[in-house]
Amino acid sequence: MKISKAFSRSLWAFHFNAGSCNGCEIEIVATITPRYDPERFGIKLVGSPKHTDLLIVTGPVTKKMGPVLRRVYDQIPDPKVVLCVGTCGQSGGVFYDSYNLEGPIDEIIPVDVYVPGCAPRPEAIIHGVVTALQKLERLEGGEK
Amino acid sequence: MELTGTLLTGYGFWNPVILILAGLVTGLVAYLLWKRGVSTYRKGSEQEKPYISGNPEPEKNAVHIRGGNVYWGFTEGLKGFYSRVIPAHSGDLNDYMLWYFGVMIAICAVVVIFQ
Repeated sequence: MKISKAFSRSLWAFHFNAGSCNGCEIEIVATITPRYDPERFGIKLVGSPKHTDLLIVTGPVTKKMGPVLRRVYDQIPDPKVVLCVGTCGQSGGVFYDSYNLEGPIDEIIPVDVYVPGCAPRPEAIIHGVVTALQKLERLEGGEK
Repeated sequence: MELTGTLLTGYGFWNPVILILAGLVTGLVAYLLWKRGVSTYRKGSEQEKPYISGNPEPEKNAVHIRGGNVYWGFTEGLKGFYSRVIPAHSGDLNDYMLWYFGVMIAICAVVVIFQ
């Protein structure tokens, strides 16, 4: 695999909660603790989608959060990748077929990597982030 | 005094050459920062709009703070005065002429009575 420019700088991630029960949030926070310490590789959470390369989305996407998620995704500079964390974002999970859902996530925005689990362990989230980073490198290398 | 000379005020100094150089250096730094920005953004898309926690950008009129807000303490302190004066300013020229002639007649009457 050709190493692109993306490898030369840090991967910054923005976390978006689209109606999650907070289980996935706890695991994401556990992922950025010193036990796993992804920041030693420059991987960290940022406070604005305008600063990010990776959008981490949790939750089944409620009707209220659908337009917000779409707007946040549109505001991220290209190239960008989306990581769906948790089963809810993939299928609705325990909220499947609820009257209150606009999701799952890939019906709102394109998703590049899925991390299943309720909630997924930090190791699984890190694996998803690394997979997303590889996709980002391919995108920056010119892949459509 | 020569134009490029240094003016000593006792508290500091002023030199136009240093000011121009500082302006040029600041401009260069600003240009280099601007140059590092992403130039491939999609024009006219959401990427140009501010991030307000994912909420739509309000109309400018809805978030504009009027200059009158600067005088809030002043108008609040004199609200007894303003509550009477503001209704009198109707914007109708006839009202203003009535006030003008009314006050003038009153002054003339005072002058005639107390002369």
